[in-house]
Amino acid sequence: METSFALTGKGYVIVAADTTAARSIVKMKDDQDKIKELGSHLLMAYSGEPGPSNAYIIMPTQPTDPLLSFYSGDTIQFAEYVERNIRLYQIRHLYPLRPSAAASWIRRSLAVSLRSRNAFTVNLLIGGYDLADHKPTLYWIDYLGTVVEVPFAAHGYGSYFALSLLDRYHNPDATLEEGLATLKRCINEVSKRLVVSPDRYKVKVVDKDGVREVEL
Amino acid sequence: MSALEYNGGSVIAMVGKDCVAIASDLRLGTQALGISSNFQRVFPMTDRLYVGLPGLGTDVTTLYERFRYRVNMYTIKEEREINPETFAHMVSSTLYQHRFGPYFIEPVVAGLSKSPTGALKPFIAAMDLIGCINFAKDFVVAGTASSKLYGVAEGLWEPDLEPEDLFETISQTLLNAVDRDAFSGWGAVVHVITKDRVISRTLKARMD
Amino acid sequence: MASADGGAYSYSLTVFSPSGKLVQIEHALAAVSQGTTSLGIKASNGIVIATEKKSSSILIDDSMIEKVAVVCPNIGIVYSGMGPDFRVLIARARKSAQAYWRVYGEYPPTKVLTQEIATVMQEATQSGGVRPFGVSLLVAGYDIHRGPCLYQVDPSGSFWAWKASAIGKNMVNAKTFLEKRYNDDISLEDAIHTALLTLKEGFEGQMTEKTIEIGVVTVPTVEELAAGKEGGETGRPRPTFRKLTEEEVKDYLAL
Repeated sequence: METSFALTGKGYVIVAADTTAARSIVKMKDDQDKIKELGSHLLMAYSGEPGPSNAYIIMPTQPTDPLLSFYSGDTIQFAEYVERNIRLYQIRHLYPLRPSAAASWIRRSLAVSLRSRNAFTVNLLIGGYDLADHKPTLYWIDYLGTVVEVPFAAHGYGSYFALSLLDRYHNPDATLEEGLATLKRCINEVSKRLVVSPDRYKVKVVDKDGVREVEL
Repeated sequence: MSALEYNGGSVIAMVGKDCVAIASDLRLGTQALGISSNFQRVFPMTDRLYVGLPGLGTDVTTLYERFRYRVNMYTIKEEREINPETFAHMVSSTLYQHRFGPYFIEPVVAGLSKSPTGALKPFIAAMDLIGCINFAKDFVVAGTASSKLYGVAEGLWEPDLEPEDLFETISQTLLNAVDRDAFSGWGAVVHVITKDRVISRTLKARMD
Repeated sequence: MASADGGAYSYSLTVFSPSGKLVQIEHALAAVSQGTTSLGIKASNGIVIATEKKSSSILIDDSMIEKVAVVCPNIGIVYSGMGPDFRVLIARARKSAQAYWRVYGEYPPTKVLTQEIATVMQEATQSGGVRPFGVSLLVAGYDIHRGPCLYQVDPSGSFWAWKASAIGKNMVNAKTFLEKRYNDDISLEDAIHTALLTLKEGFEGQMTEKTIEIGVVTVPTVEELAAGKEGGETGRPRPTFRKLTEEEVKDYLAL
């Protein structure tokens, strides 16, 4: 099942997402990168619920039937739409959007989409390092356009296991090594307890030096 | 499962002697799963006017942005700050414009309004999600804990409370009501609006 | 192509003449100054607006002519210039006032409504396929924030607040007359008489209750304000602008 985590620490944000691309019960791919680098200091993990749906008529039901949970086309469409628009802003204005502004813009896109005939059903974690006030920031955004700034966050079935672990072990002043260790705890717990758990994750970090991928 | 209850959250407002108070919890969840314990749903509109927007999380943000825009435009056009009564009508008409595809929010407005004689008069109002206004003289409640809030407020509220007593009353009302509600709680924030200042305090609450 | 009056620049609204003028707007002002005289005076406790109601034939039923119009319970307007253009503007102003009421639950302040009308008039100076409005307006109103206000709006869309002003035929003479008569603590009663005297200056024919229209803004007392903005029986706002009846006009003329 699709799962993504993110947590902040001392001067950094770690964003992790599983790498499986599944369609129905079939795993199509196991090295899919579901974390977009939206700018030099901005990351976005995206995970999608099944294809286009009339989300606001059938009101929110959390992660759907596992049999239906495939990696939907419009999730990628939305991620690329965001990616290109954030890039366009940077080209037009010669400086990038700050993480808070980017999160706000992305949220608005989802909120507008929600009340359209074919809403995007994509959940996001936006992790960024704000070069203006030197703070790592993390936003939890769901497909309804709900946004909230959090110290740590998760999407998908994994969130039910990870969030309680993060409640216990998260430390906003942790070093990167400690942060990655906490992330590993989450991943291990999901592997241990979730029936259909993903086996591989991609992990990216953003700090004052920008974004980079790390191996666990 | 109603969209109004999907993210949880509650707001209450009370009238005191020459003051009003508005308070809300800080939880945001997706049904029973808690996501954040620092989700603001009460916002200042002017120095003496606050609005609480309990309901669907996405609409909290959307409506806050909408009202901020509307109030800014009003302030520029009219060259003065908006009155609580006028603002309540603005909120109401905005909601009714979406009568057949509503925002899932039941707003609460609290502020001090200038009477024609220049005196400041407490004002509170609550609305349903399509903008039907309830002007109240004592208190208004909204959100997933509204039924509990009614009960506690009915027992604790009394007329002409001074700001500090009003703070105590609204805080106890909110805290005890949200403790009986699975979808509200996780911290609280209280604003007491008086003639010359607003007292804002964040409350510790049960985190279960 | 080029002719004596406006030359090549007189046809397209959106083209400036080399001297920086938009001649169509000037022509509109010329149309206004051919219209019957209207005036407004702000008093210490209210405002009066008045106009001369002249019909070209005795066969016209002048009881149906309305030159002072009520826009909403707190605002009234009088005009000089083209009647039909005024009718259109009044319809727009009334709509705008109702739209404001629907959103805010109260009627617009005088300045906001004036601005709205001025915007409509300005748009007619910059849009394709239209001509400017051939009217100048005097907008009189009361609101709790600014008190009584008197505004003049011109075909260009510009507007000003006045203590007293006159528009239309004889406006120059009338203004000079008003300048002599006006003082800051004039009462509404005195202002109404001054208004009639001013109109009399350039009046052709008999000044009667049939040939004069008057509207007044009365400032509510503190007690009236405290009693609430709603009138008892109807639940509607108590009007602060009203037109004087023929009997009332007759009484003022008799004095």
